[in-house]
Amino acid sequence: MTRALVLFAHPCPESYSASLHTATVETLQARGWEVDDCDLNAEGFQPVLTEKERRGYHEEPANIAPVAAYVERLRAADALVMVFPVWNFGYPAILKGFLDRVFLPGVSFRLEDGKVKPNLTHIRRLAAVTTYGGTRMRAILAGDPPRKSVRRAVWHVCRPRSMRYLALYDMNRALEHKRRDFVGRVRRELATF
Amino acid sequence: MRALLIYCHPRAESFTAAVRDRIIERLEAAGAEVRVRDLCADGFDPRLTASELERYEDCVRNRDGIEADAADLRWCDTLIFVYPTWWYGLPATLKGWLDRVLVPGVAFHMPDQNGNIKPALTHISRLGVFTTCGASRWLTWWVGAPGRRTLMRGLRILCAPRCRMAFAAHYLMDSSTSESRAAHLDRVSARVDKWTGHPARAQEAPA
Repeated sequence: MTRALVLFAHPCPESYSASLHTATVETLQARGWEVDDCDLNAEGFQPVLTEKERRGYHEEPANIAPVAAYVERLRAADALVMVFPVWNFGYPAILKGFLDRVFLPGVSFRLEDGKVKPNLTHIRRLAAVTTYGGTRMRAILAGDPPRKSVRRAVWHVCRPRSMRYLALYDMNRALEHKRRDFVGRVRRELATF
Repeated sequence: MRALLIYCHPRAESFTAAVRDRIIERLEAAGAEVRVRDLCADGFDPRLTASELERYEDCVRNRDGIEADAADLRWCDTLIFVYPTWWYGLPATLKGWLDRVLVPGVAFHMPDQNGNIKPALTHISRLGVFTTCGASRWLTWWVGAPGRRTLMRGLRILCAPRCRMAFAAHYLMDSSTSESRAAHLDRVSARVDKWTGHPARAQEAPA
């Protein structure tokens, strides 16, 4: 059975992000997948890579000790789906901290001759479901950092067979029907990706 | 010149600390006032919480807990970030500083029905980004340098329209040498001196 790790990074249960999160989990479960639903805020995830962790960063396998449970969940996943709001043209800190602390050497990548080799190739499907306050044009002018981070940096260590980056731009002015349409699009795309 | 330097590295003896010290030295040599915010040493919590989001658009209450940072941002005319690039981006601690401190009324004004947000940091006329990358220059370029762009494009549009930028990165940090690090510190000096118009003559003299 396909096992999906869903990383959710919005602190408010009544937010639009939370409804995208619900739609994501329901759609994946309807596919018959086993969903490991990781609500980073609800779980109290601590995103700060500490001095001690930084010192031991390259010491495998001891480097995973502080986040061993999260590493295990990541290693068990065949699919990774990130659901988050874009803040300041980037991930919320709590999600960025997941990359900083859990995507460690020996977990997400191996260093061979100073080159990064992908080490999450068991993740065959990668998706992001996100919302932007700004317009698409504004994001493009800023170089759209979160899109690049998902589609290139995270992609690079997973090399998935299938990838989706689903984004609703101009959130603050999006009309009710646009928000509803986007939830529908998320359900459609995640049902088949 | 009033410079606010946001510093983010968990290790006191890191090369990033040497970059910070070099910047402070050059700024002070030029007579600038410098304030340093050491996010890791200060134990800054980068998580924007539900209660903060609840008052996010209330321009009085949204400064609760970040009063000093908001005041520093109003005070400075030069904003400088010194940090290691992790996962092609900002460390979570620094990203969270943006999330929690760049609130409406401090960094921007919320849009009306038909517009973009309005910048509120237009008194900042210099924006500096100084970082180190484990990756090579070309790999960083290929990924699209999300961290640099979050600051130099995303934050840039909140600053003065003719804001002067400075950027320096030491790539391939894991295979750096004492020569490469020294050369990088000189690049950092040159960037800062270009802003201040105060060249480091004393350092050019033979020791």
